[in-house]
Amino acid sequence: MFVARRMKKSLVTVPPSASLFEAQSRMRERTIRQIPVVSDDGTLLGIVSDRDIRAAVLPAGLVPGFTAGEAEKFMKDTAVERVMTRKVVTATMTDTLEDAIVLLHDFRVNALPVVDAGGKAVGIITRTDVLEAFIDALGVGEISSRLEVVVPDRPGTLAQLAAVIGSFRVNITSVLSTRHVEEGKRANFFRVATLNVGPIRKAIEEAGFEILDPSKFLLP
Amino acid sequence: MKRVAWIYHPDYLLHAPPFEHPESPERLVAITDRLGAAGLIERMLPVTPDYPEDPEILSVHGREYLDKLETACRRGDLTLDSEDTYLNRHSFNIALLSAGGAIAGAKAVAEGAADRAFCAIRPPGHHAGRDAGMGFCLLNNTAVAARYLQARHGVEKVLIVDWDVHHGNGTQNIFLEDPTVFYFSIHEHPTFLYPGTGRRWEIGKGKGEGTTLNAPMAPGAGDAEYRTIFEQTLDPAVDRFRPEFILVSAGFDAHRDDPLADLQVTEEGFRFMTRHVLALADRFCGGKVVSILEGGYETSSLTSCIELHVRELLGE
Repeated sequence: MFVARRMKKSLVTVPPSASLFEAQSRMRERTIRQIPVVSDDGTLLGIVSDRDIRAAVLPAGLVPGFTAGEAEKFMKDTAVERVMTRKVVTATMTDTLEDAIVLLHDFRVNALPVVDAGGKAVGIITRTDVLEAFIDALGVGEISSRLEVVVPDRPGTLAQLAAVIGSFRVNITSVLSTRHVEEGKRANFFRVATLNVGPIRKAIEEAGFEILDPSKFLLP
Repeated sequence: MKRVAWIYHPDYLLHAPPFEHPESPERLVAITDRLGAAGLIERMLPVTPDYPEDPEILSVHGREYLDKLETACRRGDLTLDSEDTYLNRHSFNIALLSAGGAIAGAKAVAEGAADRAFCAIRPPGHHAGRDAGMGFCLLNNTAVAARYLQARHGVEKVLIVDWDVHHGNGTQNIFLEDPTVFYFSIHEHPTFLYPGTGRRWEIGKGKGEGTTLNAPMAPGAGDAEYRTIFEQTLDPAVDRFRPEFILVSAGFDAHRDDPLADLQVTEEGFRFMTRHVLALADRFCGGKVVSILEGGYETSSLTSCIELHVRELLGE
């Protein structure tokens, strides 16, 4: 899946001349934590976060006698371009969701402005958007039961499992396959749209696979 | 000894699966056999339920859904949306009669004919939402009883205690924004068990915020963990809500022998929960409790738990 599918397109921005005060108010209004700074033609110039703004005000706040009124004045007099991050970690329209996840993780940022070929900001994708994609992919909140099956790490086992589940005429709403703690094994997680998982569990065990007993995870 | 209304109808056996299925008429046959053999049925007040009136069902379910269900049964459909929820030609009527059973129990207690009631009814109800049946459930019997009490008996505040091992997503959604019906559910954690809802932060919405309470239990949890939740989580909430009437969505599938879940509750756990709810009812509701059968799929534990449950209702 591509970033364009999950990014927010209704982009809230500020010009570089906007004050810290304006940027902060706009973030509060829209309940966002960072805001891209763009030029008149929409070119991405930087990004400023609520933390950047707090950090900018803080040193002034350490001056003796500095009042709330003075803090507000400082924020109104200071342009975002003075505190914004100029080296922005961005995503492009053709980046995949995987790219975005790795970028967010490796560069330890909360959001990636998405830019087109001309460097214009066209959207933003945040950690929240990525989590949303995970919630959907895991089938959380869909009416279903979960099965956790440990299988030998060899080709064809997932197909075998799916066939067993399929024989019960039950929809699989989510599949996840990961390395297992045990060498040479994989853990497969299914969400299946049924209450009646008992017979499916039994059939999977009869097919020679191990169903994870969730209560065992809780043992220290 | 308390007067306990016994709600049952032989037609409840007519809703029968067209293929192998855990929610079968044999459940009720086993329950009546067991209670009969123990001499308990004769000690209860038999009440034969009737078909509910339209407004009583429409207080919970949408007309379109009822029409869809009726048509599906008339047409001979074997399932409603998925294989979980089977149908036969009787299912629509028997679902109505099942909801009528919950109403009959509520009526007997509200009018004082009985102190408490046990409704041995099926199909079960707590997964059924306003516009959809699912998870073996067609109509939400408990929700219908709650609305009936409010509409016909001037009861303002109803507490529903749902100890079926599955979260009652249908009941929760029906009363999600309703501050007059407090929905409490204790169930296996949604990551591990159907329907995948009932997380601890699901507490109601809008005006109903705070009158939904979920206690998801980790796989392997048993009597001790259940006791802690009832005493430390449910009690303070009931204290604040002050119900006038308690309905129990009584499923017995949290039992350690039940094949559909991973919990370890024993007969003692169900005895404790029954006593606890009765004590709450004595404290807040003049003792008014109606217990409505939901799930429970392993015959031996289902019947032994219900025997204990009924003995407690009788106040032996």
